[in-house]
Amino acid sequence: MMVARWASKGSTLLAIGLVSVVFLPVLPGLVRMGFDFFQISHWLAIWQDTQTIPALMATLGSTLISGVLALALSLSIAIEKYPSNAWRSIVKRLPILLAMPHAAFAIGFAFLFAPAGWLARAIAPLMAWHSPPDWLTVQDPYGLSLGVALAIKESFFLLWVMMNLLGERHIAQQITVARSLGYQRQQIWRSIILPQILPRMMWPFAAVLAYSLSVVDMALILGPTTPPTFAVLAWQWLSDPYPQLQAQGGVAALILLMALLIFGGLLRGVAWVYQRSTVDFDGVRLPNRVSIMSWLYQLGAGISFSLMILILIWSLAQSWFFPALWPDELSVKAWLNADFTPFKTSLWLGLATSLIALVMVLIWLEWGPQRNNAWLYAPLILPVIPLSAAQYFALLYLHLDGTVIGLIWSHLLWVLPYVLLSLVGAYRQFDPRLMLTAQALGYPRWQACLCIKWPLLMRQILSAFALGFAVSIAQYLPTLFAGAGRFSTVTTEAIALSSGGNRRIMAIQAVLLMLLPMLAFALAAIVSHWQAKHRRGLR
Amino acid sequence: MLEIKSLCIKQTNQALISVLNVQIAQGEVLTLMGASGSGKSTVLHWMIGALDPVFTATGELKLNGKRVDQIPTEQRRIGILFQDDLLFAHLSVGQNLAFALPSEIKGKSHRRQVIEEQLAQIGLLGFYDRDPATLSGGQRARVSVLRTLLAQPQALLLDEPFGKLDAVLREQFRAFVFERVKALAIPTLLVTHDIADIPPQGRVLQIEDFQHA
Repeated sequence: MMVARWASKGSTLLAIGLVSVVFLPVLPGLVRMGFDFFQISHWLAIWQDTQTIPALMATLGSTLISGVLALALSLSIAIEKYPSNAWRSIVKRLPILLAMPHAAFAIGFAFLFAPAGWLARAIAPLMAWHSPPDWLTVQDPYGLSLGVALAIKESFFLLWVMMNLLGERHIAQQITVARSLGYQRQQIWRSIILPQILPRMMWPFAAVLAYSLSVVDMALILGPTTPPTFAVLAWQWLSDPYPQLQAQGGVAALILLMALLIFGGLLRGVAWVYQRSTVDFDGVRLPNRVSIMSWLYQLGAGISFSLMILILIWSLAQSWFFPALWPDELSVKAWLNADFTPFKTSLWLGLATSLIALVMVLIWLEWGPQRNNAWLYAPLILPVIPLSAAQYFALLYLHLDGTVIGLIWSHLLWVLPYVLLSLVGAYRQFDPRLMLTAQALGYPRWQACLCIKWPLLMRQILSAFALGFAVSIAQYLPTLFAGAGRFSTVTTEAIALSSGGNRRIMAIQAVLLMLLPMLAFALAAIVSHWQAKHRRGLR
Repeated sequence: MLEIKSLCIKQTNQALISVLNVQIAQGEVLTLMGASGSGKSTVLHWMIGALDPVFTATGELKLNGKRVDQIPTEQRRIGILFQDDLLFAHLSVGQNLAFALPSEIKGKSHRRQVIEEQLAQIGLLGFYDRDPATLSGGQRARVSVLRTLLAQPQALLLDEPFGKLDAVLREQFRAFVFERVKALAIPTLLVTHDIADIPPQGRVLQIEDFQHA
């Protein structure tokens, strides 16, 4: 018993140790930024910079649009369609929409809405345009197009969260009961369903806000330029060689964190008022109102699919001048001369990172503490800039900036929580009697895991792995900071090219960027399908 | 012989089981009766080495004179059968059994032959490569028993193993299990809430008798 207890303690320590390596080195950098935060001179410098106020307005504006609109879009489509066949086909399309990286989405969005974009070409004959119109669609100074693009992209994420919440409770039956009591869909949702699922959507919604607040890759393509959004400004300051500006950037990063906390507080207030206002029933049965939001969701999903096609066409376009709707000639010539180095870097980086994260997560789930694990998800609901800057600080101190180890480590901070999040439910629900049976047949725990538990969970493990891979592919700031400019991935390359003129070459990188996560998810699906082919119990 | 000596199980200072003393002889099936939620499964979990950490237990478990309550599950050589068959879904019927077969039986073809013979004995000739999900409930239950017994346990724990089968099947399956246990001559503890599960002339303990506060 003593030996067994020590072995189990040792495994727990190993689990905690492994995960600490990912998280703890971030703390000193955060503490340093914390010290800078209380120096009035940095605040003065930020205040006196004329870029600050417009940048902050653009950031707050785009975050508000993104959060409110994404929630409205996803909620209204759920209210309108759940449960029905139409709902099932809507959620069936979600994985591919979720798999599309944000940066690729932004590039496609620009291809569609920019002054020389496809939309302007489509209406050019009507307006008799021969040169691109003087539109302020993308890169508008208020961050509107950035906010709308974020809203569309994040509505898929929120809908996916909702789909999981609706599935795990008996919501469909509750809707039937409420309808038999004479209520209509919208009122049922307002008074019965939303009070149940909204509290569970708080954290995912906070993640959307945090993402929108500190997004840099999408903001570089769709956001305002002079001045940029506040997140981009903070990042520019942080990457300045001048220490005073670096410290200022750290403070700006913490201001973003503060903005998130304020948003969070507001959110709690709204939720509190909402919960109070819905439980008072007067028995009046209200008719449904016409909802255009759910139609807008469908439009958003349609736009997203057409973006993917548009990017693909651009990568094959030999020449494509305004106002032609279709390229003069399609050719694979650009593909033959394309630079595949970023693709290879993304591939090995993603594979290494997600594999390491998966091993850590499996060890953590099996031997780590069963309770108080919420802190592991912190990177998902915190703005990326302060974390990424703190990582860079640690890497500089350890002379690991610009190394493969440093780069993989920097990605792990986001890949690990996502892999954990995707696996934890299935892992905790695994029937403990199966493990007990295996152990009673004479196998030690680790062997029972290898032979029984992990193979039985293979489908979930593979999809967690694919998600980890996709998260790594999409990393922008950590790759720039930790890689110290020495590594270019499809994400960093596509965004670097977006400021140049060659759309074809940028489109090729964007196609590769879209392709990698989709390949990973497809591969995971194929392998688990193949494994379950002769085992009905695994389906 | 399987022996429980002065077992007490507590949950935060509240006694769940106090002073349980039991001896089960080779080939005997002892029945422990109690309503659901009475703590009888907790006793089984302690015996197999998987007591929920919210409980604390004192007492000794001896198997053939050797103390086993302080060694890990996989070294106790105690077999367990649950209400569900718990066949491993990613393995074939034969692989499920091969997982249990001791390593002393060597050689790929020999191991397979041993398992095929055992399958034939329980009326499942030619089932080696079958997907367990395609078997009937009764067939799965029999494979599950066979899997537990192939590991050559020195004692057996039965946690309401007949509960999920329908009435006709239950009768047959009960007879099947008791016959096999008798043939192996190992001590067996059966936990149930159904009087019909008690084997003929079997000894019975009521869990309430060990639960006075």
